[in-house]
Amino acid sequence: MRHKWAVMLLAGAVAAGAQTLTRKIDLPPDSPVTLVSADWGESSATARGGAFLLDVHAGLSLRNSSQRRIRGVTLSVLAQEVTPGGKGSVSIPSMDVAPGDTFPVRIDLPLLRPLGAGTGPLVEVKLDGVLFDDLSFYGPDKLQSRRTMTVWELEARRDRQYFKKILEQAGREALQNEMLVSLARQADRPQPGVQMVRGRATNLDPEHEVQFAFLQLPDAPVEPMDGLARIAGNEARAPRVEVRNRSDRAIRHLEIGWIVKDQQGREFLAASMPADVNLAPGRSGQVMQDAALRFPERPSIESMTGFVSNVEFVDGSYWIPSRLALEDPKLRGVIAPSPEEQRLAQIYHKKGLAALVEELKKF
Amino acid sequence: MTTPHVTESDLALYVSGDLGFWRGIRVHLHVDRCQSCRRIAEAYRHDRGQIRELTDELPEGLDWNRLAPEMTANIRVGLAAGECVAPRHRKPVAMVWRPAAAVAGLVILVTGAWWLNVPAAQTQELGRAIHAVWSGRSGAGVRRGVMEERGPVVEATSSGIELRENGSSLGVSQGASRPLAVSVSVQGSASARYVDSDTGQITITSVYAQ
Repeated sequence: MRHKWAVMLLAGAVAAGAQTLTRKIDLPPDSPVTLVSADWGESSATARGGAFLLDVHAGLSLRNSSQRRIRGVTLSVLAQEVTPGGKGSVSIPSMDVAPGDTFPVRIDLPLLRPLGAGTGPLVEVKLDGVLFDDLSFYGPDKLQSRRTMTVWELEARRDRQYFKKILEQAGREALQNEMLVSLARQADRPQPGVQMVRGRATNLDPEHEVQFAFLQLPDAPVEPMDGLARIAGNEARAPRVEVRNRSDRAIRHLEIGWIVKDQQGREFLAASMPADVNLAPGRSGQVMQDAALRFPERPSIESMTGFVSNVEFVDGSYWIPSRLALEDPKLRGVIAPSPEEQRLAQIYHKKGLAALVEELKKF
Repeated sequence: MTTPHVTESDLALYVSGDLGFWRGIRVHLHVDRCQSCRRIAEAYRHDRGQIRELTDELPEGLDWNRLAPEMTANIRVGLAAGECVAPRHRKPVAMVWRPAAAVAGLVILVTGAWWLNVPAAQTQELGRAIHAVWSGRSGAGVRRGVMEERGPVVEATSSGIELRENGSSLGVSQGASRPLAVSVSVQGSASARYVDSDTGQITITSVYAQ
């Protein structure tokens, strides 16, 4: 009898930490996507210390209720906007959803929410943005999803064009070879662990400054001229890069890719450095970030290379590297293919060449 | 009817004040009425006074200063002899199961609360700190090469992305599938790219440190 009570007390103590996950999907009345169904089956909320650990697993079905084709969607998933770990997002690039069609959105995110953080729903899903096939955008864009989805879409168009051209000019066998090369490159691409902390981290090893080397992409509108970061063992912090706008248009945002080489000569893409700038034609400026990167699997950093990965002009147009520029041996080995190239490679891998050819013919 | 006399031993105890309360009253009432017993009691009282006078006087020629160390020495010899003849055994402590059960319950409660509330990383950190104190190493020596994070840390590995703060970690994964690619932005976010094997749809999940 006593054992039964003990088991019941223990079960009660565990159950006291669990709570039903209250949630809300908030789409504006004039949203171009509408909710068809939502399944929150495996989601849960558990009290841990002074916070709720929200394990959000949801499958949504949304409908394109606009008159244009949708190319990308980003949803923000919020437990507490200002708390670290309280905010996440789910984006779907490389879509082609016709008006009236439905599409699935899978959300798998763990979030944190302080115990006393209001009485509203524990988790809230909001629309951050929708990108259409004419590159127009709808949404509050709090997560800068407009820029991110536009770059993905431009990369998708570049890569679709590239593969279609191969199919047209060199035939199915050449396309097949290209897909095999892409799959092999994805499998070989090094992806070591990277940790990032904003501000100064506390590594007690002595620091020294290391200069960036730069890959000059021939048609890039921005020229990186000089740069350095402080290195201590396997940690790099406070990157600073001097850039010059060599185009005839003003630039408001750019992103620099940061490649790191370790002591054994292995190179990998460590992080991206996005920065809002105000660069008039011919003017120079500085990109700097108060952040530290650490590479737990690598003993120490030998050298660093930077390259301009995308640029947004003040007039709303963008620059991304061409396929030719991406053929640079240094870049080719470390940067990930675009989401669209990965999607096409998966179609080839799962369904074969005929399915890929059909997919390329769609648009 | 004659009253039975009090025994001599009771009379002796009565004179010395060693009888019990009720028995003392009974003997006192009898002695008041019985002449023969009163005489015996008086005799005992007289003898008692004489003995006290005799014991108050020390014997002649007694050197107390010499006697004291002799007595001390004799006591020590006696104790040593006793130890040799029969070694003393400590009395075994009785098994006190009730306090032991209470302590065990408390330990279970604290362990349960710790397990439910304190992240594993903090437990490991505490273990490292205790080990450092135990082995006498300085904290700086233990932490060399191991950064102590200030603020949230985003991490990207080939198996997914994770946000860590104060020893707690939040990992992002989509079932058993591994991401096609992961990336870190120095503005404070990490992203993982997954593909749905059925639909081929790409999903990019991001966590934000700020």
